[in-house]
Amino acid sequence: MLSPKERLNRVLNRDTVDRPPCICPGGMMNMITTELIKVTGVKFPEAHMDAIMMADLAEAVYENGCFENYGVPFCMTIEAEEFGAGVDMGTNIHEPHVVKYTINSVKEWQQVEQLDLQQGRGRVVLDAIKHLKTKGNDVPIIGNLTGPISTASSIMEPVIYYKELRKSNIEAHEFMDFVTEELITFAKQQIEAGADIIAISDPSGTGEILGPKLFQEFAVTYLNRLIDAIKAEGIPTIVHICGQMKNVYPQVKEIRSDVLSFDSIVSMKEARENLLDRLLMGNVSTYTIEFGEPNKIAELTKKCAADGANIISPACGLGMKSPLQNVKSMIGALTKEL
Amino acid sequence: MSLSKEALLKKLSDGVVNMEEEEVVEACNEYIEAGYPAFDGIMEGLVDGMNRASQLYDEEEYFVTDVLLCSDAMYIGLEILSPHMPESELERVRPKGVIGVVEGDTHDIGKNLVKIMLETAGFEMYDLGRDVPLQSFIDKAIEVKASFVCLSTLMTTTMPGMATVVNLLKEAGIREQVKVVIGGGPISKKFADTIGADGYSPNAVEAVKLVKNLLNIA
Repeated sequence: MLSPKERLNRVLNRDTVDRPPCICPGGMMNMITTELIKVTGVKFPEAHMDAIMMADLAEAVYENGCFENYGVPFCMTIEAEEFGAGVDMGTNIHEPHVVKYTINSVKEWQQVEQLDLQQGRGRVVLDAIKHLKTKGNDVPIIGNLTGPISTASSIMEPVIYYKELRKSNIEAHEFMDFVTEELITFAKQQIEAGADIIAISDPSGTGEILGPKLFQEFAVTYLNRLIDAIKAEGIPTIVHICGQMKNVYPQVKEIRSDVLSFDSIVSMKEARENLLDRLLMGNVSTYTIEFGEPNKIAELTKKCAADGANIISPACGLGMKSPLQNVKSMIGALTKEL
Repeated sequence: MSLSKEALLKKLSDGVVNMEEEEVVEACNEYIEAGYPAFDGIMEGLVDGMNRASQLYDEEEYFVTDVLLCSDAMYIGLEILSPHMPESELERVRPKGVIGVVEGDTHDIGKNLVKIMLETAGFEMYDLGRDVPLQSFIDKAIEVKASFVCLSTLMTTTMPGMATVVNLLKEAGIREQVKVVIGGGPISKKFADTIGADGYSPNAVEAVKLVKNLLNIA
């Protein structure tokens, strides 16, 4: 019997496996639900700010048979907050979100301070990873980053950001350079703390918003810089992008991550046809996981695997009100196959 | 040498499509100096350009960033031409709509796009922004006597808020007068039917058609 870590590693190394792993990385791909919080008794939203609570909750995800990985954090506001944005920590049904921006224009990027990972929630994430590392070696630890475009458009008004990619192209690139270098620093420290894999979610850098040209110029360029730096540390990467891919498949092919993940609007079959030789992760509808029946979720899970997903995961972050029984039915569907 | 009215209208329209704010400003000033009616400049120039942009968006030649830049050019032109509109035109009653992203969600790119398209189509839009407390939709709809409410969310977690808005409209006794249209990533026609909304739109261009249909506007 393969341990979860061995199974995932075999997939990443393109070896054969008994069945696809079922993971949910964390970060934007939230896997914490209200019911799980109740089961563990860990305080929420306090766990967003406390390394031990964060690690305990991450461990509970695996222990309760939800997913075959540990992952932290449970939101996509760590980087933005470290860059000076105001964050509302949310509740046990709403995720943390940015409520105040740091700058008004890409031209002001020099006012943004470098990440201070000695304190604050960046530190919490690093300590949580260290803590998870002490829990044995069978479960892969996934460290999460908010992608370059999503981070940049979390510390200023996104509409202005998108427009300035053209209107202030030079400064936009300078800003993205800065953000990406800082994310590399955060990634390296997560690896040093013990992360086995780094997952990067860039939901704001979609092909639908940017179009192929800007997607290439901004999304692909800076994602690849980040991926290459992580690869140089010998650590595999998962990249999750939201939205339709059909206009940007040629550009997506150029993203050098080990694994690509899409949301439920992309059919796994279509993704497989367009990305023949890539490892794909996905994409069980989070709407069905929250509001559907376990047997329907099991069906979707099997369909994802049959359509070519190498790793099974929810298509997006889980809605926090998703019933535990529904969440578990993904793994259930895969293990019953044996 | 001054350009003909037709040539200036084309310049206005092209300036919007090509996202050339300076061209639009120049053409607007020239147009006003030549004494042509502001109303035609807006409708056959700026709005025509924005309609062409939304056509290109529908055909996937243009993307969200393109449309945002086109709308900037249109709004800059509107600022110059609107003050020259005769009072009677300004007072012409336009159907009013309230739009916003429901509580708990801060993704508003899609909502902004829908708002731009609806304004271009002649609706008077009241934008409540994002992460909007649900009761605010009802309060605003009553305040401005809105004909419709547009709700958007990109997150599964915040979808139930849309059903709450429908119910709050009922409680306020104005459900019959106010059409509810919804949209956003996880939303579907089926969900709209389930919660008793009047319509679902998968994108901004369709949203305009949907609202016009619901309000019986050609």
